[in-house]
Parts: sequence; C-alpha cells; structure tokens
Amino acid sequence: MRLLHVATIGAAIGFGLFAGAAEAATDIDLFFPVPVQGKLANEMTRLVDVFNKDHPEIKVTAVYTGSYDDTNLKTHAAIQAGKPPAVVIMSANFVREYVINDEIQPLDPLIAKGGQTPGQFMDQFWPALRQNAMDQGHVYGVPFHNSTPLLYYSVDAFKAAGLDPDHPPATWAEWLDAAKKLTKRDGGNTTRWGLMIPGTYDYLGWITSGLAMSNGGQFYNPDYGGEVYYTQPTTIGAVRFLDELVHKAHVMPEGVTDANAVTTAFFQGRTGMMVLSTGSLSFVRDNMKTPYRTAFLPRNLVNAVPIGGASLIIPKGNSPARTEAAWTLVQWLTSPEIAGGWSRFTGYFAPRIAAYDLPAMKTFMSEHPDAKVALDQLAYARGWFATYNVIGVRKALEDGVQAVLSGKATPEAAMAEAQKQADALMRPYVEQTALKLPQ
Amino acid sequence: MTAGLLLLPSAVFLLAFTYWPVVQVVIGSFAERGFRGATHWGFGNYARLFADPHFGQALWNNALYAAGTIVPSVGLALLFAVGLRDNTRLSAALRTLVALPLLIPLVAAAALFVFIFLPGGGLLDWYLAKLGVASHNWLGDPSLALGSIIAITVWKNTGYYMLFFLAGLAGVPQDVVDAAKIDGANAPQRFFHITLPLLGPTIGFVTVIALLNAITQVDHVIVMTQGGPSDATTLLLYYIYQQAHQNYDLGLASAATVVSVAMLAALSLVSLRTLERGIHHES
Repeated sequence: MRLLHVATIGAAIGFGLFAGAAEAATDIDLFFPVPVQGKLANEMTRLVDVFNKDHPEIKVTAVYTGSYDDTNLKTHAAIQAGKPPAVVIMSANFVREYVINDEIQPLDPLIAKGGQTPGQFMDQFWPALRQNAMDQGHVYGVPFHNSTPLLYYSVDAFKAAGLDPDHPPATWAEWLDAAKKLTKRDGGNTTRWGLMIPGTYDYLGWITSGLAMSNGGQFYNPDYGGEVYYTQPTTIGAVRFLDELVHKAHVMPEGVTDANAVTTAFFQGRTGMMVLSTGSLSFVRDNMKTPYRTAFLPRNLVNAVPIGGASLIIPKGNSPARTEAAWTLVQWLTSPEIAGGWSRFTGYFAPRIAAYDLPAMKTFMSEHPDAKVALDQLAYARGWFATYNVIGVRKALEDGVQAVLSGKATPEAAMAEAQKQADALMRPYVEQTALKLPQ
Repeated sequence: MTAGLLLLPSAVFLLAFTYWPVVQVVIGSFAERGFRGATHWGFGNYARLFADPHFGQALWNNALYAAGTIVPSVGLALLFAVGLRDNTRLSAALRTLVALPLLIPLVAAAALFVFIFLPGGGLLDWYLAKLGVASHNWLGDPSLALGSIIAITVWKNTGYYMLFFLAGLAGVPQDVVDAAKIDGANAPQRFFHITLPLLGPTIGFVTVIALLNAITQVDHVIVMTQGGPSDATTLLLYYIYQQAHQNYDLGLASAATVVSVAMLAALSLVSLRTLERGIHHES
C-alpha cells in the first residue's frame, strides 16, 4: 500500500517536471546589489516583473546580493560552484579582475549579431565609462548605472556662514575656507561641521582616489592591474589634505563616519557640506527638508573624478540559451527608456547618451539642476581603480586613510604601509605577468 | 549490527559534511597556490600567517573581545539568575526582560545598534547629550569600536547564559541550604560556600559556550564595521572570511582556520579541566 503511494507521488512529480519542461521559459538569474541609500531593491524587482511580462520566453529571477563587495563575493562563489549567474550588476571596476581570472566572456560575438563592432557599440555610452567596460579592445561589461563623487551643500548653512550659495567652492583652498566658516562650535562641542565624507569601506577608497585625481594623480595604472600609486605625491597630498581637515582645521569629525551618519547629519543641519555619490541624489532630494545644491568635487590642480557605478556582465559557463536570454535582458536594461527611468529613480546618471534625448529626461533635467551638475561633471570623469585582488588592494588604502582620520598614523607612514600591503596582494599576479621574463 | 545500520545514515552525513571538510581544510592549509602557477606543498601558508600583522591584530582583538564579553556576560548572568530566581511576578517579568535579546537575531540587533550608535544624532548620543556628555563616534573611532561591539555582545548573550544558571540553581539541593541556615550561615556565606561550588559544572559549561561564541559569532562585525576602522574590530573568523573571500587566498584562510580551531580546542580543554578540579560532585 505504502509502496503504491510512493510510486504515485513519484509519477506525479515526474509528470509535473515533464509537463513543466515542455512549455518552459529560459530561466535566468540576475544578481543585483544596492550600493547606495534608497528604495532601489523595490524598483529593481518591479523592473524585472515588467521584463518578464514583456518576454514570456524568458523568466528572470532577481536576486538581491548586498553591497558591491558582497555581490562580487557571491558571484565568485557561484562561479566556483559551477553555477554562474546569467547576469550580474557588477561594480564597474571589478570587471578587470574577472578578465584576469578568465571568468567572464567578451560580449563581442553578441554585439556582432546586432551588426555592430565593439567600438561602435561603446560609442553609445559616455566616453568616461569605456575604460572600465573594455579590456584590450573587447567589451566585457555594459554600463548600467554610473556615478561620480559630488559635493552637496546646504543653502541655509551657506547663507548663515556668509557664503554665496551661487559660488560653491571650486578649489581646495576655497573648500577649506568654506568648511572653516561653516563650522559652528559651542564650547568643546561642534554643533555644525564644515564637511563630512563617508569613511567606510568602498566609499572611502573611491573618494580618496577622487582627491588624488583632483591633485593631478592617476592613483593606479589604468593599463595594468598590478600597480597602484599610494606613495606618490599626488596621493600623499590628498591624504594630507584630509588630515588637515580633521586635525588642523577641525572642520571634519575625527574617525570614520558611515554614509548613514553623513546623510543624517546633513538632513539635521549638523554638517554644511558632504561628499556623496551622485547615486544618492534622489535619496537626498526626498529627505532633505531645507534647500541644498550640488557642485563639482573641488580641485587642487585639475578637475577630475573617478567613475563609480556598475556594469552588466555575463559570466562564463552559461549555456548558449541562457547567454542569449541574458543578452536580451542586458539590452533591455540598458535601453535609453529603461536606463533613463532608472536614472531618474535613483540619481545615477544614465550611461546611454541617447537616454538624455528622450522628452521625459529633458523635462527632468531642466527641473533638477542638481542632476545636471552630476551630468556636467562627467566631462572630467575617468575610469576607476581596477587591479588584481581589487577589494583587498582598495581596503589596504582605506585602512591607512582610516588610521589617518582617526589620528593613529601620519599620512606618509599610513600610505607606506598601504602600499606595502597592496603590493603583497598583487604579487602573485605581478610575478606571473610583468615580472615573468623569458629565460 | 542493527545499531550500526541505524547509525549509518547519520554517519554518512557526518563524514561527508563534517569530517571530510575538516580534512580538506587541513590539506588546503599546506597547499600554496599562486596566480596561474603550480601548487607547492609545505608550511609556507603558516609562515605567511604568522608573519602577517593583520593576523596578530585579529588574534589580539579576539583575545580582548573574548575577555571583554565572557567575564561581564557570565558574571551578570549569574547575578541576574541569583537575583531573579524567586517565583514572584516581578522577577518573572524581569527575567523575561533580561532574556528578551535572546529572541532577536544578532544581525537584526546589529542593524538596530548601528542607528543607536550613530554619532551625534543616534539614540545613545542623544541621551548622553542630555547628561552633558559630548558626542562620540562609537563605531568609527578605532579606540571605541571594539568596545561598542563588546557591549552589544554582552547585551545579547547575558540573558541566554542566565537561563543556564537558573536551571543550575534549580538543581542546588534545598536541604544543604537549609542545613547551612540552621548552622547560622548568612546569605553571602551560603552563596560562596554552597551555591557557587554546586554551580561549578554550570559555570564551566557556560564559560565554554561563551568562549565558543566569542570565536564563532561575527554577524555583528559584518553588519556594523566590516572589521574596521583600520582593523580595530577584525576578529579571527572575520580575518579568515576576508582571506578566503576577499583576497581568494584559500591557503592562508585554511591555515588560519587550523590555528584558530587548535587554539580554541586547547582553551576549551584547559578551562574545562581547571573548572572541573574545583567542582564538588555529589555522589
């Protein structure tokens, strides 16, 4: 009796599977991170639902995978387990590491099917995004949402401090001066800081590299994944400037402040300025009660910012059917309409140039001058930080800068230590590439 | 024969999912892999591990963390258990209150505490400001961050350990206590000469559990600080996680795992032995 029962269930399951297979859509998964504050996960789920409705032959499952660093980790784990995700929204600068580790496929054949060369394909995106998306002429990532570090400032605080909100600081000298004027002290307590920056992992490395670039530096070798320039004068100068803001001018709080603490302080009027991603524009717009504006990241020598944000990648090891479906999803997500809508929802700028020709986007840009500043700053943007062992190499720098911000080390000593650690982390790659010589 | 057969399924799973991974980690700790290079076998991973200042820092942090969490949480748990052992309505309510953090997952608690610890605008600073204390960067100052992590661990675990002590106290025979009363022993004397010695096995057990927790719980570190600022809150398990998943250095991660587990096993053994020597077993 029991045997019969088991057999019936078995048959039912078998039949169910068979019936399912007959009409099955191609199942693919999309790994997506939420790197900035805001309701991004809800919107991504909604977008995927729209895609699934429009494409009955494909069934996309959106998988929330945490921060950029977590997403990288989970993607790696999935690849190692032999179950690579079909599409990942990957921090744009991690793409090189997947190329180095041979875990990602060039998108050239898929692009060729659409009748384009890799060059023609990338011409549809803003020039600053091409460096992180390509490697040696091949396309590996399709830019999805991108950002640059932006200076946000409170109009009320500027007026109260006797500063002109129409002329935000453009140089480091003006920046320090404005921060000093904005800082309000009450005895030993600071009731309003001049400036705050997020000092937590990922954000801090990004902003420090922006300062080093504004100081004329390159920060890393854009053409080779085994070199970073932490002890060069351009980086040392940037870290010294941070040290000065905290320990000499006392216009920025000591220690590490996370992004939530920075935005909370900005909304409560406890800091006059903050540096944050353009990706947080909508979050700030929705939560800031008093008027605020945005400006370029101030320069010491040149206007320059690193590109942040993410590209869509298709890891190796997916079946042709999955790859095909993945490519359909990638093209849909990066189409001007969807990319434009996502940009308006988040604050990230849309990587597709054509997105800005759409009427909805034109209206939006004229209504939101803060988003216009972010787009204008793109002219000065560069690719960012792509090396072997990129997270560890970046954390080495961040640990050093955190030590400086906390008053535990001098900029020179901290950067020397950071360089040493970064070199050790990149050594296996360097030994097999630049230092591997014919014998 | 039947017993062997009945045990077989669990034995298979134990072998496949517990012992085999342990063997793999030990083997992995001797494998030195480079980028696209051949694998060498030897003690290189261990040499690199002991030369790594981050490992030393993690070890030191973990020692501080263990001392800072075990002593107060076990002490407080004992205190609460003794104070709240009576079955009055008030102590029942207080017992529930103390045990409440036990119900909150560590990740959720950590996410809440991130907001409580917000410098300036957070709940903690807000109340401290009323007392005239200047605001602190609880999680962002390297000299405070580990202390903050310790504080939430104590808050989280004390109630749990209290439950063990309550159970232990219920096992203290009333006739011994009554005999002591008749002999004229006062409350502190009864506590130190009767209750505490008879609680010996419970204290030993709770200490070992607390020690294990100090090594195996890093959820709050991942949520609150990611080991920062500047390595101030990197615990051993977080160090292993960083090496394995951020730096893809499985050799170093395996070596660190072997060393940590060996130390943990040795410590557990020593603490159990020491405590057992002082235990008065009833027979």
